[in-house]
Amino acid sequence: MFRLLLTTALVALPLVAAAQEITVGAANVAPYLDPGRDHSNVGSQFYYNTFDTLIDRDHGKRELEWVPALATSWKLVEPKVMEFKLREGVKFHNGADMTADDVVFSLNRMMQATFPPYVVRAKDRLGNFLRAEKVDDLTVRVVAEREEPLWETLMSLQQVMIVPEAYIKGLTGKADVAEDSDYEAFALAPVGTGPYKVAAFQPGEKLVWERFDDFWGETAPLERATVVQIAETASRVTALKTGEADIITNVAPDQLSLIDSDPNLKTEGSATALFHVMIMNQNHPKLRDPRIRQALSLAIDRDALNEALWLGKAIVPSTHTMAEMGALHQPDLVTFAYDPERARKLLEEAGYDGFEITFDTAATYYTNGLLAAQAIMEMWNAVGINGRVNVQDQWSGNDPEMMVRNWSNPMYFADPFGSFGVMWAPGGPSESEGRFNTDADYAKKWDRFRFSTDVADRNAAYVELMEEIKQDPPLLPLYRPFESWGMKQSVNWAPMPGHIPYVLDFRAGSISFAGN
Amino acid sequence: MASLVDALPRLRRRSGRRKGQGADIIQTIALVCAVLLAGGALLAPWLTPFDPLDQSLLARLRPPIGFDRYAAGHLAGTDELGRDVLSRSLHGLRLTLALAFAGAVIGLLIGGLLGLIAGQRRGWVEDGIMSLVDMQIAIPFTLVALLVLALMGSSLTVLVLVLGIAGWEQYARIVRGEVRRIAAQPYLEAAHTAGAGPFYIAWRHVLPNLVSPLVVQFTLSLSNIVILESTLSFLGLGVQPPQPSLGSMVGLGRDYMPTAPWIVLTPAALIVVLTFTVQILGDWLRDRADVRLRER
Repeated sequence: MFRLLLTTALVALPLVAAAQEITVGAANVAPYLDPGRDHSNVGSQFYYNTFDTLIDRDHGKRELEWVPALATSWKLVEPKVMEFKLREGVKFHNGADMTADDVVFSLNRMMQATFPPYVVRAKDRLGNFLRAEKVDDLTVRVVAEREEPLWETLMSLQQVMIVPEAYIKGLTGKADVAEDSDYEAFALAPVGTGPYKVAAFQPGEKLVWERFDDFWGETAPLERATVVQIAETASRVTALKTGEADIITNVAPDQLSLIDSDPNLKTEGSATALFHVMIMNQNHPKLRDPRIRQALSLAIDRDALNEALWLGKAIVPSTHTMAEMGALHQPDLVTFAYDPERARKLLEEAGYDGFEITFDTAATYYTNGLLAAQAIMEMWNAVGINGRVNVQDQWSGNDPEMMVRNWSNPMYFADPFGSFGVMWAPGGPSESEGRFNTDADYAKKWDRFRFSTDVADRNAAYVELMEEIKQDPPLLPLYRPFESWGMKQSVNWAPMPGHIPYVLDFRAGSISFAGN
Repeated sequence: MASLVDALPRLRRRSGRRKGQGADIIQTIALVCAVLLAGGALLAPWLTPFDPLDQSLLARLRPPIGFDRYAAGHLAGTDELGRDVLSRSLHGLRLTLALAFAGAVIGLLIGGLLGLIAGQRRGWVEDGIMSLVDMQIAIPFTLVALLVLALMGSSLTVLVLVLGIAGWEQYARIVRGEVRRIAAQPYLEAAHTAGAGPFYIAWRHVLPNLVSPLVVQFTLSLSNIVILESTLSFLGLGVQPPQPSLGSMVGLGRDYMPTAPWIVLTPAALIVVLTFTVQILGDWLRDRADVRLRER
């Protein structure tokens, strides 16, 4: 009888523990963790559990609904100045209290950035903000250069998550100065105010979260969550099947049946708020003629790619727009289409002589990336384009020799500025890499789109921008990939519609277990 | 190869070791396989019902004949882009074999030449060449190949060169050994005394003695090169898509192993049969043609 009891206890023990602890098998674990400098699809998985912003949103809804986070209220006190009332009694994971100084430090490290990785991120999305100022211990003001139509949106970005000033400054060198080396050290030992503290972090290998008991909000549902990098898809699926992992990320559509057919497992997925795009180098000597690039785009049957590679579950856009953008979603605008006849005609007009056009892709970085590239070659071939897939893992987007390659345009925040606007702004990442040109006219349209306080005017300006893109195309958005996570039947978790892509949200209300 | 075919009937029938029917049956099977593989590879463009690069996206991942959802005509099923697995395997076999032959020939030329020089010149030249041989043996060549391909980028030319360099040291050792052995033979001295020049001696007396060990080594190294090519292509550094080679088919298909194993099975089976065949034939040739074994 005693033995029976003992055995029962031993069997039951791991079950109890499993409810509190989970292991995630991720395709990638980030090389560093600093929400300020990062905007990668890998990093975005990790920040929301560890850090908070001043303003948060209800992530269960696709519609924008702002909720207080580290700021309990906010209002415009002048047309260009917003005032934030801070939450009392917030603690960082290292035990320090969060103060107005920490908030000012966190914001100014981006808005007045000197550390090069911050400069880049601040420029492409926080360029309109001059500084943050402390008013009193619980009040902070942020000053913009021009009237800002997207205050809440931009104050809820991952890049302006709040970090501890004294801790960061004390990491290396002088304890009262924020040196670049402090930021480098912080990226390997991050401390925030979120519901989980980072208990262990091995870059590119493993991350361990532990529940933070002094969290200001609702207590985290998990005692501990371990994220382990398992790069190979087949290995991840195996880890899930053997019980080594409770959740796995990045399950390709072709693998879904394998998991769904197992009665103990299930998958959750959504068409991620991100476009896989094809970019074309406007400045490549052989691709200068816009008609060639138009043909490259018109030759691609994106619906066929969706049907064949994504089981029809991806979303093929008519223009660079997403439903998440609310009033700025423009589903009726048609910028990109499939028209092989016209592609043939344009090639003929442009005098295309059959020269080879290379399409660069990494072997595994984008789900179905290599497959799509090969399928696109076949579609090009059908209209007489001599294409070749060039598999290489290096990023070639800044190489003048690059002709065509794949890339992604994530939605960094729910606004066209957060997707198209970041990537294709005048002087933005695409132009500074030398494959996209803008002129004064484009810049004027972009400015109206970015800063007009009238939504109708912003939409009208965006239509004009899309027309420029159509006439002299630097990109084709292929689709919003259908990304899936595999998990045990007992785990209740799914990607939430209000998040940016790939966020592993384990906060209260986001994850639970069946039968508990 | 012609000289080998002529030479075979004249070789004394082996007696003694490994006597019996078992070995003969294996050799017969290997010979049949060799003929089938060579035929399949040579005639691939005429044998295969589909272009190996033709996709049909709506008939992806269909299983081979006899299973549910079989797509008519695709006997061995279709792959992740709806291409015919059988056609790709045969074309892959063709490319793999062509690469292996080219690589083996390059290895033979480089190794043979260096071995000849080492055997004739002696002194520091020989020391230098033989220490290169030792280095080549000491370094795991797959790593070197990966490094070269990663640095130079993968093209068929680079790949063939890498495969050629993979096995040269074996030829160099054999040739050097043979040259030294033959140089000590009395008939060479006789020829020399009779006034024969070095080229005449090399052509008339040395080369014929080298043919059979080199042919044996060529055959044996062929299977190693097939494996190396498959390894490199499996790792994505060899033959680039959409061009099929046996290794790249296995490499790209490995994600589909649980759901569509046929993508990997056909090319993997071909790799196994191919290396098995070549190895058996190589052993058989060595047993029959190697002078030293024969004398025992």
